[in-house]
Parts: sequence; structure tokens; C-alpha cells
Amino acid sequence: MTVDVAIVKELSADDRRFTLDVAFSSDSRRIVLFGPSGAGKSLTLRAIAGLLTPDAGHIRVRNRVLFDASTGVDLAPRHRQVAYLFQDYALFPHLTVAQNIGFGLTSGLLNPSRRERGRAVAHWLDTFELRGIADSYPARISGGQRQRVALARALASEPGIVLLDEPFAALDPALRGRMRRELRELQARLDLQLLVITHDPDDVDALDGHTIEIRDGRLWEDARPPARDAGPLRTDIEPQ
Amino acid sequence: MRRIFPRIALAAALLAGVTAVSAADLVVSAASSLTDAFQAVGKAYEAKHPGTHVVLNFAASDVLLRQIASGAPADVFASADQTAMDKAVEAKAVDAATRKNFATNRLVLIVPADGKTAISSAADLKRADVHRVAYGDPASVPVGRYTRAALEASGLWDAVSAKGVLAQNVRQSLDYVARGEVDAGFVFATDAAIMKDKVTVAAVVPTPKPISYPVAVVAGSKQAGEAKAFEDFVLSNDGQAILKTFGFLAP
Amino acid sequence: MSAIWIPLALSLKVALWATAINLVLGVAVAFGLSRWRSPAREVVDSILTLPLVLPPTVLGYYLLVLLGRRGVFGEWLDRVGIQLVFTWQGAVIASTLVAFPLVQKAARAAFENVDPQLEDAARVLGLRELAVFFRVSLPLAARGITAGALLAFARALGEFGATLMIAGNLPGRTQTLSVAIYAAVQAGDDATAGTMVLVTSVTCVIALLLAGWLSPDRANIRRHRS
Repeated sequence: MTVDVAIVKELSADDRRFTLDVAFSSDSRRIVLFGPSGAGKSLTLRAIAGLLTPDAGHIRVRNRVLFDASTGVDLAPRHRQVAYLFQDYALFPHLTVAQNIGFGLTSGLLNPSRRERGRAVAHWLDTFELRGIADSYPARISGGQRQRVALARALASEPGIVLLDEPFAALDPALRGRMRRELRELQARLDLQLLVITHDPDDVDALDGHTIEIRDGRLWEDARPPARDAGPLRTDIEPQ
Repeated sequence: MRRIFPRIALAAALLAGVTAVSAADLVVSAASSLTDAFQAVGKAYEAKHPGTHVVLNFAASDVLLRQIASGAPADVFASADQTAMDKAVEAKAVDAATRKNFATNRLVLIVPADGKTAISSAADLKRADVHRVAYGDPASVPVGRYTRAALEASGLWDAVSAKGVLAQNVRQSLDYVARGEVDAGFVFATDAAIMKDKVTVAAVVPTPKPISYPVAVVAGSKQAGEAKAFEDFVLSNDGQAILKTFGFLAP
Repeated sequence: MSAIWIPLALSLKVALWATAINLVLGVAVAFGLSRWRSPAREVVDSILTLPLVLPPTVLGYYLLVLLGRRGVFGEWLDRVGIQLVFTWQGAVIASTLVAFPLVQKAARAAFENVDPQLEDAARVLGLRELAVFFRVSLPLAARGITAGALLAFARALGEFGATLMIAGNLPGRTQTLSVAIYAAVQAGDDATAGTMVLVTSVTCVIALLLAGWLSPDRANIRRHRS
């Protein structure tokens, strides 16, 4: 399996308790976690990226173990080779578009230079048609451009998987359709491994991938009374 | 919050009651070197004049002078040198007719009692192993003026002032030496006597002019009569006897 | 004029050192506090804020007891040949202590204002924690920290009570502007005192204007539009 996730995480804040208990695996290049907000989709994504440590379970991506509670493996985010596209893109406001794209390619304690830029950055600027705004700051560019910058930044470090958190929610509806097509096209062109979370059925249709539904911290099938034998939680069957 | 305000008001009222100067209070502004002696003098005076409360205000003489000249409600001014009193007369801050000398004192060089640095005379202060010497700021503290005059007379001033730590009053010099923060200091003999366990007198330093303390009634005192009575008490046999127990010499 | 320039130069030297030390210490402590999840956090924060409310003479006393020649650390320092009392370095310590909460508070607020998602983004992009701090958290908090540092500079420049107690009044060596003003007023030298008061006031007003111009509120409006 390309992506194999089975995690449990108990969260409590004041009076509220929430249990995340999801397990799925898939070979699809376009995996979609679908469900209403508050279902635990983002938590799942954060766990895969290494920003949230599950209480139990395992996470494997492309045969690499990123997390396994039983063996104590828990790779730091920087070693996971995953890219994360945050809902509002999380572009660094103090860096230009080019610096943002070069961010993950520059090691050390200093940010990439504003003047010099490497070939990789130039390549991604061209790929996303961002050359004209390379020296602009994120506050000065449009929503669509921001998403492209965030994607370019995510892809520049050549990740094994790209995690996208509601990638179209921050865009106005007119732009949304266009960006959906762009992402779909990009995925096909670069043969990207995507894991998208969304609450929007239109996104599900546009991405046309392996859709897994999550509600209230659990897989939707799992939330129903178990009709089948309670085997290992699997959802490799395509719903809908 | 509602409960806090009455408490604050109560506390404020108590503080006001404690600090307010009432009509029967006689305010005596005296040089720092008189701190212990005048506390005793004040108590003895109160015993003789029931109903009068002596309020003592101690600081460097020039500071007291500045306060009085700016209208501070003092009744008696006792200075540690003639210069400060001259300035007071010049500023018409005191009644010149009431000016009288009531005590004399001696300037001494003191060192910390643990005696890490061997110093036996003012000339020793020139040595390289003496780093810091405390004395009152000559610009505002009488003991500093006496020190400066004495050291200038013996040709040591330039060398010693390069190591000088200026104190705001004589008791601060004493404290610096007692804490061992400086290697030596200049104070009055009476000051050195109250910290015998912490400081040692290395030498008595002769001063070109004698160290004499003048007292006068503050001009515009609302209790000039009472103020004069206090001054007379200081000059009386009883008053002089008290000063003597603290090491002050007769005028 | 040297009666004014020497204390002014000394005051600036002391205030600059105090500010530089506070930038390192205050920022480090503030970052630690802003990321520390513990009930003890606010207690520690309160203790660190004490210099802001305690009388400077109390701080001066603590320093004298700790660093004086017969103090707890002072005795040891004396043995290795370091004396802090009556030195300009002592004045730096007093000013640093008094101004510390101003940098710490401003820096903590600035760090707490940094969107944690940006730090997460940096982690996922391959940065270790130290690099996340220097490349994301610190630049984004820089404005707030600078504003705090300017306030601290103005405070250090005006520091009097603790400085007088630990550094004393040594003309040309520890006599800072505020101590020189005090001495001049006591000696009745109103002309010198007046000029020095004016110089101090103008310097502090400039520092406050700069701090206000860099204040986090204004910076946030620009930054969080993205």
C-alpha cells in the first residue's frame, strides 16, 4: 500500500473530549478524506505530517514507516518527506515569493537570499508562472497566486506525498473551479501522490480519486453498526 | 473590587495619620553625622517639654539647606560645617541672629575592620593596592569639603580623588567602608565610633579649619520661640552632656 | 560642557550594553515562556516582572547583598579579581535587571502573536527547531521585540536608584546622567542639572517615539492582512 494509516488519538480540552480513531490504506494517487468540519480530517493530516503524535497505531507512506507506536518510531516532520499545503497556505509574510519557494531548499539558520535564487526556484517559478511576482511579498498577491506559491513551495522539496488541507476553501467561488482543474492537471503531469481533505462534495467530484469519509473522528463505515466481521479497519473499497 | 476600595481608603487614612506633621511638632533638620546624638537630644527635650514632639530630618547639610531654602517646613537647622550655614544666611533661610556653634568634631580616616589592606595614614592612599576611597561629595556634603581641604593641604587630593567614591552623606561613606566595598573612607570621629565592630580608625586627619557645627532658627518658622528653646537646650549643660556621650567635643 | 558629555556618554554606553544583554536574555526567556505549557508559567512570569514594580532601591539592595565584596557571589568574584560594585559594569547589571521585564514582556507578546501554523509549515519544509526560531519566529516577532528593546533602552538610560546603590557616584566612571543630575541638584548647580535634564528628556522621547512607531499593533495590521 502506498499510504497506510491506522491511528488513535484522545484529545480533551476543558469539557470537550474527542477521540480520533481512523484507519485506512490506499494505492490511489489521489486520496480524498471527506467529511464535515470537526470530523478529525485536519488532525489526521497533522498526524501524517508529524505535527501531532498519535497515542497508538502506525503511519506508513511509500513503504517508509513514519510512525509506529509499537516500535517507538516517530520521525520528526523534517524527516518525513511530506509536503503540507495549509488551508490558508501559511506563506511566510516576511519573505518574497521566490524566498518562500526556496525556503525548504535552504538549510542552516539563514533564510534564502532575496537577490540570488537557485535553479530549482527558477524552475518552480516557471512551472507555476510566478516569475512576474517572484520579488513580491505574499500580502501583495492574489488568492490564486498564493495557492500556486504554496504548491510550488511544497513541491520544491520533492516530497513523497502532498497533504492538502481544504485547498480551495480560501478561494472565491469563481477561482475555485479553475484551481481545481489546475491541481488535477498538475497531479497528472507530475504524477503526484496527493492526500486531500475537504468538506466540499464538488472537490470530491473534481479530484475523482479514492474517497474516504470521516465523521466524528471515525470512518463513516465504521460509525455504522458493524455489518461485517470486525476485522482490521480497511476502506480500500471505493465508496459511491 | 468593591471590597478592595474601602480597605485602600482605610490604609490611606492610616498612612496619612501617621505621616502628617501636626501643629505641636518641632521639625529639626540636622546633618547626617548628628543622627544618633540628636535622636537622644530630641528625646531629652521632649521629656522636659511635654506636648512637643521633635521631628528629626537627617541628610547632608547642603541638602537640608536646599530643602529649607525651597520652603520646607523646618524650624531648626543644624549644619556640619560653616559653609552650609553661610549659604543659609546668604539665602536668608535662617535667622542670622540665632546662629551659634554648638559642637566640634574631628575628621578620621577609617578602614574596614578586617584590615585586608594595611593603611595607617592618608599618604598610604596613594599606594597602588588602594583602589577606592569613599568620602562625601565636596559639592554638597560638609565631610567631603573637610576631606578635600585636608588632602589639598597635604598635597594628596589629586591622587586620592582619582580613587574617589562620592557619598551623598557621611553615613553612606561609613556604610561603604563597613561593607568593605571601599578600601578606606573619610568620616567624622563620631561616625566611626558607632560602628566600632566594623570599621577601624587608621588616622586622625588634621583639617586646616576646625570642624565646628552651627545651629540656627529657620527664618519664617511658625514656632520660632519653641525653636529657640530647642537651640538653647542643645547649648545647655544637659544638651552638651548628651553630645559628649556620642563623642562630640565642646564648641 | 564635559560635565554633561562624560555622564551622557557613560549613560549611553551603559544603556546600550543593558539593552544588548536584555535582547539575548529577554528574547530567550520570552520564547521559552511563550512555548512552555505549564501552570507554573504565570508564576515564573510574575517573578520575572518583579523588577518592573519593585522599588529600584530594593533591587539595588539585592544586588549589593549578592555582588558586594562580602556578598554571596561577590566574595567569590572578588577572589577571581572581578569587582562589580562601583564599576560601570555594575551599572550595566543594575540597568539590565530593571529593564529586563520590558524586553521580556514585549518579546513574549510578539512570539505569542506569531501564527503557529507558520512554524509548522517551516518544520514540514525540513527545518530543525533552531532554524524555525531564527528563520520564522524571530523575524516575525522582530518588530515587537525592537519596540520592547527601545523602551528598555529608555528605562536603562534613566535608571537611578539601583545604579546609585551598586555603582555609586564616581565622576567619569560610574556617574551616569541621572546620578550626575542628582549630585548637581544636591550641590545647588541648577544650570548643569537643567541642561542634563533636558538632554535626558529629549533622548527618552526619541526612544519612545521610535518604540511607538514600531509598536506591535501597527505591525500586525500590515502583517496579518495576508
